[in-house]
Amino acid sequence: MSITIPIWEAGVLRWSLLVPLAPLAAAVLVGLFGWILRGASHWPVLLGILAALAASLVILSNVASSSPEDITYRVFNWIAPDTGRFFTVSFRVDPLTAVMLAVVCGISLLVAAYSRDYMREHGHAGRGYERYFALISLFVASMAALVLAGNFLFLYVGWEAVGLCSYLLIGFYYDRPAAAAAARKAFLVNRIGDFGFGLGILCLYLWITPWVSPGENPLDCSAVFRNVGHLEKWQATTIALLLFSGAVGKSAQLPLHVWLPDAMEGPTPVSALIHAATMVTAGVYMVARCGPIFMQSDLAIAVVAAVGAMTALFAATIAVAQTDMKRILAYSTISQLGFMFLALGCAAADTAVFHLYTHAFFKALLFLGAGSVMHALGGIIDLREFSGLRRLMPFTYVTFLCGGLALAGFPFFSGFFSKDEIIAAAFDLHPSLGIVALATAALTAFYTFRMIFLAFHGPRRVPEGAQPHEAGPWMLIPLAILAAGSFGAGYVGVTASPEGFLGLLNPGGAFHRFLRPVFQEQHPVAMFTPWPEEHAGHGLTWLTIAVSLASIAAAYVMYARRRDWADAAAAAAPDLHQLLYDRYYVDELNEALIVHPLRRTGSIFFGIDNYVIDGILWAVAAVPRVAAFVLRGLHGGAMQGYGATMAGGVVLIVILVLLLR
Amino acid sequence: MSGLPGYVFVGAVLFGLGLVGFLSRRNLIVVFLSTEVMFQGVLLNAVGFGRHHGEPDGQVFGLFVLIVAAVEAALALGVVVLLFRRKGTLDAEAWKELRG
Repeated sequence: MSITIPIWEAGVLRWSLLVPLAPLAAAVLVGLFGWILRGASHWPVLLGILAALAASLVILSNVASSSPEDITYRVFNWIAPDTGRFFTVSFRVDPLTAVMLAVVCGISLLVAAYSRDYMREHGHAGRGYERYFALISLFVASMAALVLAGNFLFLYVGWEAVGLCSYLLIGFYYDRPAAAAAARKAFLVNRIGDFGFGLGILCLYLWITPWVSPGENPLDCSAVFRNVGHLEKWQATTIALLLFSGAVGKSAQLPLHVWLPDAMEGPTPVSALIHAATMVTAGVYMVARCGPIFMQSDLAIAVVAAVGAMTALFAATIAVAQTDMKRILAYSTISQLGFMFLALGCAAADTAVFHLYTHAFFKALLFLGAGSVMHALGGIIDLREFSGLRRLMPFTYVTFLCGGLALAGFPFFSGFFSKDEIIAAAFDLHPSLGIVALATAALTAFYTFRMIFLAFHGPRRVPEGAQPHEAGPWMLIPLAILAAGSFGAGYVGVTASPEGFLGLLNPGGAFHRFLRPVFQEQHPVAMFTPWPEEHAGHGLTWLTIAVSLASIAAAYVMYARRRDWADAAAAAAPDLHQLLYDRYYVDELNEALIVHPLRRTGSIFFGIDNYVIDGILWAVAAVPRVAAFVLRGLHGGAMQGYGATMAGGVVLIVILVLLLR
Repeated sequence: MSGLPGYVFVGAVLFGLGLVGFLSRRNLIVVFLSTEVMFQGVLLNAVGFGRHHGEPDGQVFGLFVLIVAAVEAALALGVVVLLFRRKGTLDAEAWKELRG
């Protein structure tokens, strides 16, 4: 049963209004009065995000106890496409929303606090400090709108707004050509995906409208999910694939992943917040939210799984050969997002959201740790330039190690639990997917520890003139909190059980139970498959642990003990190494296959415009010009000449009148 | 030669003289004078026809035209003086800036 009620009658859930509005108010305040606030610009933003976090925690603790009915909270009527029907701005507040809001606001608050010190040294002359904080706050508001949206049109607004914030923050150092190019690239690549997303929403409107009752909005999530079963199979497949193309763009999956590595041109905290922990997971969130649509089509769900698996492996292999820490982390993000889509494709949406949640902690931590290294070394982040930072920056090292262990799937860290679930789900669906997932996990552990050993171990070596130092408490406290989260966040997703792994833990915990209403009870066709009881998963768990530990050990030997082995490995297959180092030449391929032909076509059309169309116009314009050239001889300029012509004309008229009478 | 044909004939002669003067003379004042002569020729026609029909309209109209012509003469002579100050000559040929 679905009902729509105004948001102010929603009891305690009416606080959800505060989640987008408080950061939005902060963004407007800092945007308008940043020139007064200047160095204090972070305060309104921190307070705004704090208010949003408090509101989302209130929602998180109350949403479970609220009724399981399908409720849409109307904020206001927005556009009337025809009489009696409105596109509303409405919220959908369910456990999935609550989890996403808490993750987004929590990570945002930590990143904003971290930025307070970081941006003082890495600012920009063009009102950088104020601009940065205004945009971060605007981003949090947009992301909250995206997550809360109970209506596809409003979802689209949030979707585009986070894209805009991403564009503006990638191009934060806009006078640096690389940053401007990266921002443009991100925007254009996302546009390709978003075009499909927009088409998907249009198709929904066209095909769902005949089924909804009068007065009901055909783009409300509840109406769509209730009626999507009426659609023809090909319609559902079309819609699902179009929506998924939006997710592919936003979450940087193959083949639209190219913008994310370049997005690292933005300030590092932005990479941590937007391009690792939150915005890029919007695609995962959207697919999870639209589960009822995707479940209508076997093809679409298979495409999701295949794209996810391919991207996970593909990006992980690239990350092995990169030397820029932020780039490694960017490819790692792409790979982990692929993992999440793989889980979605395996009908394990709760597992995907679980991985999204643990990933937010450790990936934000790793990026902020990389930012701390960058901060200490004066902007240098290339692994070939430094090593042995362990003793110089012990705090950063320990926290970074926590994040690395979680990313590598080291036992009892948060990433271990979520990744283990995904690998098990992949094996459940098809062994080949499971093997891809396992191989990706191995590569992940390897490149993570390659990075850690290269940066923090080995001989102490720092770039000329750099004075490595730990940052102040504003930067270290968020690192510490995130490190604690990277270790402990996974424990909400497991249950203590004597039959479990090591006699301690069983997969599937409070987190999964909390999300269950979203994926199972509201929609009978939902993606959730209960964790099989007999699948205690011990064998597989041991295997993933073995793979992860073996990869870490391999990285240790190759990069901490015998560097010559690593060089020998690279030298043994120089073509492969070059291929990975150059990222499979995807950028060059795009340049050659898409950009260059487009430019060619453009120059052809420019030629047509320049010669053919302009020629026709010139010819048209030539007619009066020639006429004028002939007639202008009659203009002598002398007054009496005109007089004589006039008199002659009068005489002519008189003669004509007399003759024709 | 009294009555209507006389008025019309004298009017036509005045108009013709004025036209010839307008077309043939170069001095701006004389050219202007010629237009005034053409004016009077036309005016004589109006008065003559008014008399012929026994109505006062022609003469009233004539009075109005005389007034307008007087005003216009004042204006035109002012313009001529300004033109003279610009170029130091009264030759109408000196002003051919509108030539295409």
